[in-house]
Amino acid sequence: MHGANSSDNFRRVLGRVNRQDFVGRVPELERTLAQASPKSNGRGLLLLMKPATGVSELLRQTYDQLFNQRTDVIPVYFAFTRQDTSAVHAAIEFLSSFLQQYIAFRRNEPALCDAALTLQDLLVLAPSADLLWIEQLVQLYERVRSSNDKKELVRLCLSAPQRVPPHLGRSFVMLDGAELAEDLNGDVVLGTEILRVFGRSKQSFVLAGLRRQILEAAHNAKCNFELLDLLRLEELTFDEANSLVDHVARRQQVPTSREVRDLLVQQFGSSPFFISAFLQAAREKNTALISYLDCERLYADELLGGHLNHHFQALLEEIAPELENRLMLIKLLWEGSATEEKTASVDSWRKRLHLSTDECEDVLHQLHIHELVNWNGATIDVTTGSQTWKDFLKVSYRLSVLNEPRALVVADTIGDALKRAPHTMSRHYKRLAQLGLREVALQFDCQRVPEVLFDYASFAKKFKGVSDAEVLAGLESESVRLKLPQTIHVASCLSFNRDLRQVCEEQKCVVVHTFDDGIYSDAQEVIWLIARIDSKLEVEVGLAEVWQERLAELARAHSFGRYRIWLVSNEGFSDDASHYLEARNAFCSSERQLSLLIDQLAMTPTSRPSAIETSDEFLIVLPMGEDNELLAASTVEHIARRLTFPPAAINQIKTAIVEACINASEHSFSPDRKIYQRFRLESDRLVVTISSRGILPTNVGSGTASTTNNEDDEATEERRGWGLKLIRTLMDEVEFERVDEGTSLRMTKYVRNGSV
Amino acid sequence: MDISSVSDVKSHCVGTTAVVYASDYLNKLTGEKIERECRRQLAQGCRALVIDFADTQLVNSIGISILLGIIDVAEKNKAQVVFADVNNQTVELFDMLGLTRHVALAKDEQEALLTLSTTVSGFDSTPTVH
Repeated sequence: MHGANSSDNFRRVLGRVNRQDFVGRVPELERTLAQASPKSNGRGLLLLMKPATGVSELLRQTYDQLFNQRTDVIPVYFAFTRQDTSAVHAAIEFLSSFLQQYIAFRRNEPALCDAALTLQDLLVLAPSADLLWIEQLVQLYERVRSSNDKKELVRLCLSAPQRVPPHLGRSFVMLDGAELAEDLNGDVVLGTEILRVFGRSKQSFVLAGLRRQILEAAHNAKCNFELLDLLRLEELTFDEANSLVDHVARRQQVPTSREVRDLLVQQFGSSPFFISAFLQAAREKNTALISYLDCERLYADELLGGHLNHHFQALLEEIAPELENRLMLIKLLWEGSATEEKTASVDSWRKRLHLSTDECEDVLHQLHIHELVNWNGATIDVTTGSQTWKDFLKVSYRLSVLNEPRALVVADTIGDALKRAPHTMSRHYKRLAQLGLREVALQFDCQRVPEVLFDYASFAKKFKGVSDAEVLAGLESESVRLKLPQTIHVASCLSFNRDLRQVCEEQKCVVVHTFDDGIYSDAQEVIWLIARIDSKLEVEVGLAEVWQERLAELARAHSFGRYRIWLVSNEGFSDDASHYLEARNAFCSSERQLSLLIDQLAMTPTSRPSAIETSDEFLIVLPMGEDNELLAASTVEHIARRLTFPPAAINQIKTAIVEACINASEHSFSPDRKIYQRFRLESDRLVVTISSRGILPTNVGSGTASTTNNEDDEATEERRGWGLKLIRTLMDEVEFERVDEGTSLRMTKYVRNGSV
Repeated sequence: MDISSVSDVKSHCVGTTAVVYASDYLNKLTGEKIERECRRQLAQGCRALVIDFADTQLVNSIGISILLGIIDVAEKNKAQVVFADVNNQTVELFDMLGLTRHVALAKDEQEALLTLSTTVSGFDSTPTVH
């Protein structure tokens, strides 16, 4: 069999939309398709889904692609549903679906996938080449089923794809809705069985489910994670979500305005599930979505009784089947969410829900995996969850707990949503217009950037009123550079102090944990506290003082040893404000400086080692000792000649390399006793990086050696520190970097028109 | 002139001056061999040392630190040290690390011996075999 995938011949089999209407998720689709290829070598793929991000259509599209490719890969898609009543029931459904889809593929008849067929029908339809093994499978199934061994039956059904004779093809099973499988646990723990059967099948498979649940299930099933790949499914980007709204609205024939399309994306947090459900509701109610009012009326209807209501109600019914418990749960969830009490104790919930410890933990576990709360064992954070979930909670609370009149709740829901809509969009437009502090901070990776970008007063003096081109040229020649730290974590300051929400929005103030030089030690750890101040004019000293104090207090409250405050405002800072901040060692920048910094970050390579990428790059690995540094020196001599370095410069480079190799050999305590050398030729320079595994030399950065007790040893050690001194003298730029395990010394030599 | 080779290091004596020849790469190992030879020559009564770098293409910092050790030992023995035939690259390194403050440089061995003949009393230009 061979591929035939032209769009003319492409048939929709399980996909609910045509390929061209499947928006976003292109990399994810490629990834799942790749999992089916022989190259994946029987590995499993766990698709970790954020709630309501939608995974079913991705798997259905994968199925259709594979079905149409007509290779030896036989796609099988199975979705667990809330109609499955037990593990045995779900397993039998799986067996039936597998056989049906298998025969549909073998006969190349897509329609068979959706036909209502019995096992006997399938035997009749089976191609003659398959008849024997399918008959044997059916007979075995009948026998095990009559034996009443549920676990055996579940295993038999789930392992059916492994019974396909290799010469007829190989099954590629995609399981959807793993979180629902967990609800079917009885005599058989279905989720665990699934992972055990497929994890040991040596056949590639995909298991998709909620991210918090699926990883836990994999751990419970003692899966070999070396044979599993993970793919995280997040929300769509704004553009993708916008395109999705557009496509779905057209498909459902729902007239929409651009304003409403933008609002839907923001209101539903780019969730494909919510967006699709909402537009389907619009079609069912024959409602055009032209204005915000159209939109929020339908939204209120949906929360009170439509698809959205059904979705959340079904979830709550699963989590708390008893009505009384469910109402108390709604009360606890909404009251906690509305008061924004960050956490509640598990014990208080258990008492109010009148549940045993195990029952309460079961409820919390369900809420946690659906990301409706964050539960860490002792406390519950109820402030999490989507805006739609919170709105649902609110209407449910008012209707079911407070018994308020429905009309009043509807009117208030529409009114609240309408009042909120402009703010939602305003925040979105501001986010688009402003550069995200979080994104900027995440790019910090030991780059050297002009220091003037962090000093508004100096920047204004040099570049105010200067064209962008001149500023760029000016920055290029800036000799004073700031070496950024390496960022390891960024979070909103609200995560550290909820009270700050009263003075700033979540994304406008971030706490950035970093290490100078990428060296992971207490001494090198620096916490950057970055805030964007809203101001149409230059920020005056009073406001700068308030923010400096606010962030310093945050640092003190959390015992941040070394911290760096950096304030950003649209138009910069007055002279007084700049001087005030400078005196406190704080940075301050305008939006223009921030924008230039982002450009610089994009242009400035990080000091982290990368894979060999160009033909002008060479990598050699030498064992330490045996005068092997001479081999390195000889190699670099040949490479340096390509750049027409004068002989004296070549000698300098050779000596520096020799010293670097000796340094690595003497100081690194390298476990593998190897020196990794990378030589990169650029138009005007040679960059040499010498790395080794092991510890960081104690004399790094100082040019002196470590201390010893003996006076003679001290003199000797001091002389040994000459290596670094020589390197620094002989090369133009020298930089030590700490890598995860070991050290890396980067040395640059520039070609200078024949002179050294 | 009879040149001896102890521990792979060539040397010979001109009167009370020992001439020791450095190899093509001056590192820890070859530096220590030179040091041993110089100590041996001083122990046998040499009053001056000439270290000839004519063959030396490359030196490293450990080799240079050992040379400083030789200069220290020579000073304690009240012996003079001259470095002969050092290439420009190596001179640059010696300068960087301050060696040239403690030692005289000569164009070649003959110039080194000549320098010593004018400064060392009792200088005898007759070669002596050790």
